[in-house]
Amino acid sequence: MVQTSRLSRRQFLAGATALAGAGATGLRPAFSADAQIEISSTWGADKPFQKVVDAFNDKKLGVTVVNRFDGDYEAATAKAVASIAAGRPPAMMITGWKFGYFAKRTLGARDLREINAAKAEAIAANFNPSVLPLVTIDGALIGLPWAMSTPITFINSTLWREAGLDPALPENPDTDWLYGAARQLDSKLKDKHATYRSALALSNNEWTSQSFIQNAGGFIIDPAGKLALNSPEAVAGMEQYCAPAFEGLWLPVSAKEQDAAFEAGALAICTTSSTRATVFPFGAAKAVTTKFPGLPGQARKMNSGGNFLAVYTRNQEQAEASLAFLEFCASREGQSIWSSVGYLNTSVHDIPLINEFMKPAAGQLTDGLTAETIWPGKRGLEGQTIWRKWVSRMLLKETPVADGMKGANDELAALIGAG
Amino acid sequence: MNGLKLRSLTRLLAPYLFVGPTVLAVLVFLYGPIVGSAVLSVLDWNLLSPDINFVGTANYKAMFGSADFQLSAWNTLLYCAILIPAQIVLPLILAVMIHAVRGSRMDTVYRGMLFLPTILAYSVAGVAWSWLLNPVNGLFNEVLTAFGFPRSRWHTDPDLALLCVSLITFWKTFGLNMLLWLAAIANVPPGLREASRLDGASRWQYFWTIELPMITPTAFFISVTTLFHILDDIVGVIDVLTHGGPAGRSSSILYFLWQQGMQFFQFGQASAVAMIIIVVVLSVTWMQFRVGEKRVHYG
Repeated sequence: MVQTSRLSRRQFLAGATALAGAGATGLRPAFSADAQIEISSTWGADKPFQKVVDAFNDKKLGVTVVNRFDGDYEAATAKAVASIAAGRPPAMMITGWKFGYFAKRTLGARDLREINAAKAEAIAANFNPSVLPLVTIDGALIGLPWAMSTPITFINSTLWREAGLDPALPENPDTDWLYGAARQLDSKLKDKHATYRSALALSNNEWTSQSFIQNAGGFIIDPAGKLALNSPEAVAGMEQYCAPAFEGLWLPVSAKEQDAAFEAGALAICTTSSTRATVFPFGAAKAVTTKFPGLPGQARKMNSGGNFLAVYTRNQEQAEASLAFLEFCASREGQSIWSSVGYLNTSVHDIPLINEFMKPAAGQLTDGLTAETIWPGKRGLEGQTIWRKWVSRMLLKETPVADGMKGANDELAALIGAG
Repeated sequence: MNGLKLRSLTRLLAPYLFVGPTVLAVLVFLYGPIVGSAVLSVLDWNLLSPDINFVGTANYKAMFGSADFQLSAWNTLLYCAILIPAQIVLPLILAVMIHAVRGSRMDTVYRGMLFLPTILAYSVAGVAWSWLLNPVNGLFNEVLTAFGFPRSRWHTDPDLALLCVSLITFWKTFGLNMLLWLAAIANVPPGLREASRLDGASRWQYFWTIELPMITPTAFFISVTTLFHILDDIVGVIDVLTHGGPAGRSSSILYFLWQQGMQFFQFGQASAVAMIIIVVVLSVTWMQFRVGEKRVHYG
């Protein structure tokens, strides 16, 4: 006879109650003993950021970091708004540069110095002083300048050679050189080549257009904080930016379509984020790289984009634990793991480039980079969309460049003036 | 005695207990947000700040005065003008054709093939269509040039963007209406068809005078729900294909709302747009009931 031990209903209930009681009281150890912090992130578990998190957790420093994928910047920020409104802000969040003011003024990103001044200074000391202003909003250090990239020029080496162009690329290319090469590509390969379809793509976004304006000596927002799209320099920059589209050398499409066309060998030249240097040179395009084009006879002034790691928790222990993770991120070890993504090395650590195709990006960083525009005001987040809309209108010739710049200036001025 | 009391009390409460959860869910998840939106639409508040300002109709005025709102509202009208007739008539034609081969192996094949896009994720559909429409080297342009036609910019052309979004929205969503039509046609008693044949009615006469009046309840249901579906479905396509561009030419009023709320975090203005949409949709639906319901044959 087989004996079975059966739980009575009373025993079961008593056991369950005991377990629940233990869970409520004991499963969450004191943060000082073993804190768990959650990072609202734009990268999933399959991305290199997870490697940084795993490497930190492996150290078992009493802080466990959980990387929570929350979608793109907008989706992650929307979730942060909801959780902050509910009184449960994420401990940390990957925050886009463009959200700088919003992060500080609305979401309440913490000043790292206010959490722990000594630690914050030690963390900041790991970074190139030139990048710290990018994470300093209203005088507060609100994050770690974590991911920074800059637009560079990618060239399909096979198409370049087939068009009879010189494989020795200039170190500091300008638009005369680039547009001349695009014309030659079109004249030699258009309608004669199996895959070639278009010469050039400058990327239809606020990022590259800002570089053109700056290279022409203009500003989107000048150092005094005034909108400056209406200046002759800004107009001249945009005219140069739109010129290849007007000439038929550039067919503006979305970033995804541009990448797909470049990788398929349909597009010969593509100026886009330096992070593509981990992909394009090793694909079918066998891309080679050079710097982003400047304007002939003008000083080069390229810009950058990316995101920063910010602390949002109001709980002091969670905030201290977040600083412990930031310390690791800022260290040579953390930066070395992170560098495999293809972002620029913003730290003072001597970390070798992941490949030679990153050299132009590193060169631009050495030359000095400006930040992507952080639109001020209560309605600042609309600024980027409005600027992109006007850039599209100018590229599509729906409006002459000078009128387009004036229109953008007027609409953005009203937006910024709203508060 | 106590048992009797308890039983009668249970009987008294039973309907409320059964209906309660549903009513509660509707109150919390439907009417609650509507009231919340109505309140937010007259406030200047970012949901986080203790600084809450009553602004009256300022959010509504700002939206009606916004060129982007006007453009997206106009675009929405165009989307409806293109998609509502297409989403009602073409699925009906397809349903009639599939019904004509009912019972055969091809019935299942056609039904499966035509319904497939409906169950496809928007992200997958978006990638596939952006490959087909890519103005640089997409399949459509390759086919056009192979036949000597010029290349098109498709969804990046301001004049074609709205049509491209309409085409993909139709492709992605017509399957549901087609299935509804098929079910309605299948429910028409076969005896009516045989009787009409004996009386010498042609296929066309049978469809017009017998089949169509018999399926008017479904027709009415489809005509009402298609408006809601279209407003909703174009947002998915816009999000994966055009992001409202170029220069707002493919945006819709619901996408504009999403931008105001979830991209720019202007909750007051987003709520004002939401209230405008609620009023418009309620008015149109009310009109549909006033005009359409009289023509429905329920028996």
